[in-house]
Order: sequence, then C-alpha cells, then structure tokens
Amino acid sequence: MGISSINDYTGGVLSLLYSAGPVAKIVVFILFLFSIISWTIIFFKWKQCKKIEKEGEKFFNAAKNADSYKKLISTYRENPDNAFYRLMLASYKEITSIQKDNPGIRPDIVQHVENILKITLSEETERLERRLSFLATTANTAPFIGLFGTVWGIMDSFREIGLKGTTSLSVVAPGISEALIATAIGLATAIPAVLAYNYFVGRLKRINSRMENAVIYIINLLEK
Amino acid sequence: MKEEKWFKWLVLSTVMHILVIGAFGIPIKKSSKKLNILSSYSVNLVGDPGLGRSGAGHISEDIPGSARERTEKKISKPVPQKKPEPARVKPKLERKEKEPAISLSKKKVPVKQTPVKETASKEELSRLSERIKEIRKRTDYLDVSQAKSGTGSGTGRAGGQGFGLSGSSDGGSRPMDPVSQQYILGIWEKIKNSWGLPGMSSFKKDLETIVTIRIRRDGRITDINIEKRSGNRVYDESILRVLRSVEPLPPIPASLNMDTIEIGFRFLPGDLS
Repeated sequence: MGISSINDYTGGVLSLLYSAGPVAKIVVFILFLFSIISWTIIFFKWKQCKKIEKEGEKFFNAAKNADSYKKLISTYRENPDNAFYRLMLASYKEITSIQKDNPGIRPDIVQHVENILKITLSEETERLERRLSFLATTANTAPFIGLFGTVWGIMDSFREIGLKGTTSLSVVAPGISEALIATAIGLATAIPAVLAYNYFVGRLKRINSRMENAVIYIINLLEK
Repeated sequence: MKEEKWFKWLVLSTVMHILVIGAFGIPIKKSSKKLNILSSYSVNLVGDPGLGRSGAGHISEDIPGSARERTEKKISKPVPQKKPEPARVKPKLERKEKEPAISLSKKKVPVKQTPVKETASKEELSRLSERIKEIRKRTDYLDVSQAKSGTGSGTGRAGGQGFGLSGSSDGGSRPMDPVSQQYILGIWEKIKNSWGLPGMSSFKKDLETIVTIRIRRDGRITDINIEKRSGNRVYDESILRVLRSVEPLPPIPASLNMDTIEIGFRFLPGDLS
C-alpha cells in the first residue's frame, strides 16, 4: 500500500456502525426494533387480509345460492376463526335466543338481528385494524428518531473537529458518515411502513364494505 | 394459537432483517479519490519505536519498506529517482526559520514532479549535489533512515550521496544526530507510557494510525495532524487523547537550535504490549 491508498479503509456499513458513538448505536437499535415489529405486522396483516378475502368469497357464493336463511345456515359451515362465519353465528344466536320465547320468525326480529350484526361488524373491523396504528407510528416517528441520531452524531463530530484543530476532509468525513447512517436507517424503516399502512388502509376499507354487504345479505335472507 | 401466528411472522421478519444487514455487512472497499490529495503532503516519521532501542544513537530501518507501509517524504526535487518509492520512512527534524527554497517542511510536492530524468548530465548532478549540501547545512537536517531505493540507478545513488548519507541505496541503517534522536525517543517513551486502552487485545493487529505533531521550543504541542486513520474510531480517539494528555513535552534541546520540531509517530497496537 502506497501513499495513494493511505486513506483507504475497508469495511461495510456495519463497520461504520461499529465505530459510531453510543447515541447513534442506541438510535439504530431502536429503529431496528421498530423495523422488525413493523415488518411482523406487515406480514401478519397481509396474511390476515388474504384469508378474510377468501372467506368472503366463500360466504358470497353460499349466500347467492341459498334461497333462505335456514338453507344458508345449513350449507355454510366454516372454521369458527372467520369474520363472516362470526357474523352468521351472531345472527343465528340472536334468532335462537328470541325464538325460545316466541317461536316463529316475526318481523320485529329482523331489527334485533340487524343491531347485533352491526355490533359484530364493528368488532370485526376493530379486530382487523388492530396494530395497524403501529405502522402509522413507525412511519411518522422513525425518520425523526434517525434524524435525532444524525444531529447528535454531527454535533459530536464537530466537537471532535474542534478538539483536533483540523478541518481536513479525512477528519470531518467519517464522523458525518457515521452520523448520517442513523437517518438512512430511519428512512429505511419508515418507507415500508408508510407504503404498507396506506395499502392496508385501502384493503381493509374494501374488506369492510364486503362485510357490510354480508350483513345486508343476511338480513335480506331473514326477511324472505 | 394466535400468539403462535404472531411468533411465526416475528421470526420471519427477524430473519429477513438479519439477511439484509448481513448483505450490508459485506466489506466494501472504500476509497475516496478526494482524500488522496493528502498523499502529496509530506509525512515525517520516526522509525519503528522498537527499532530505536536496538542501538544507542541509531534508528535503523531494517525492515523492508514495502512491508511496513511507510509514507515517503519528498525531500527535494533534485533527488533523482526513476520511480517514487511509496513505502519508506524518513523522519526528520526541521528548522522553521530560514526555510530553504526547497522546503523541508510540510509542503505539497506532487509526486509527478519529483523524478528527474535519468539522463541528467554530470554537471547538472554535481550542481545538484552542491545545492543539496548547501541546504543540508542550513537546515540541520536529520535523517533517521533513508529508505532503500531498489530502482535507484547510478543517478539515484548520486542523489543520495548528495545528502551526505551513506548506504542510502540499499536501505542500510543511518546515523542520526544523537541529541535529536534521544529527544524523539524520550517523547515516544512518554507517549507510549501514557497510552493504554482497556480492551487493547481486542483490537486488530493491523490497525495503524500515523500522527504528526509539531512541538514548540517550550515543549508545547502546537499542531496535531492525523496523516492516516486506522479506521477504528476508538483507537484513533485514544491516540489523540494521549497526545493531548502528555503535554507539555520536554523542551527542544538548546543544542538543536530550533523553534519548532515536527515529528511523526506510527501507532500500532503491538506497541502497547
């Protein structure tokens, strides 16, 4: 190695992190946790949405073929861990509890069932939206956390420059580089979270409207 | 059951992150051409500290320059060299006042300018040698070790002799003013004794930091310059810390008759053992 390569050094991004200060390390660790959790939520929600859309398809197939509520109940048998099945189950439970006292389906029963279905629907919506707020939190805070690490790192490196009394690029650049990695990781955490949050909000809206349609189907079949 | 599902995705997410980080962790050669501008700065180094003990009044260069990754001090234009030898060390003390036309102080000397045509005429050579002798007289130049010059031809040797240095072309050991040598060794000992890191053994053995300091007549350090960073911030930081802590250093011996002295040090983790 001659003079020309005297300022070369090897090492990836990890080596930059290794030589960064403690604040930058803590910031990066926090961002890392945020990233892991938000990706867990992304995977989980993606799977959940996929499953519930499949279930919705099955329910609508059954509902279109059934000409009465009783037929739908007898043909539509599903896993209890299923939003559309839970809607059916709630309506069925309400009907049976009323029918114990008054046999036969009366017109006012429909109102009761509709209320129960609305409650169940909002419960299901709440269940689907649960933990999605963490993605929004990550999307909003991760860049700021990263920025904090960067500002701290730059403060630190300016202090160092002052102590060393030299402004040569080889003294200034590594500190800035170490500081900027925090912002880079903050952005890398936030960008997937923003994209996923917006995507899931749109997808859950569609799922919600399908569940509302399912409620209308059930009530229509009851009124027949 | 639900917990189990979450756990599955958590594991997947963690594995994904580890893979991504692993991909980023693959070492990449970082080389900034902009930083190479520093290479034209002269670096003044004392020889390996261990070598200083080998003989009183002598700092010898007995390890091939290429192996030690030395920086080169371009002394003056007239050194006839076919090709600049990158790996060499040439520590020196200098006098700030009365700077010769061809300065020995930190001066940008583009490498390209240094080689002198091998076909230089004899008159030219003798004139150059005379000039060098003259400079040498004026600057009280202290050469600890003139690195070998494998490519040195007849002209190269002539240039070396122009400095009044013996054995310059074969990397042999070189005498140095005992007073200044003693002084430099004293400083190095002082620095070494106060240099220590808690987890020293954990550092890689190939870390190398080159720092030059300028010392005033009264022993105060006026300037600390990192010529080469090791890449490990903790390591570099410890060196800067120790350099600040050893102040004031012993004053420059009066017999040297110098206002400031610039010394380069190479810090290797092995020095601490």
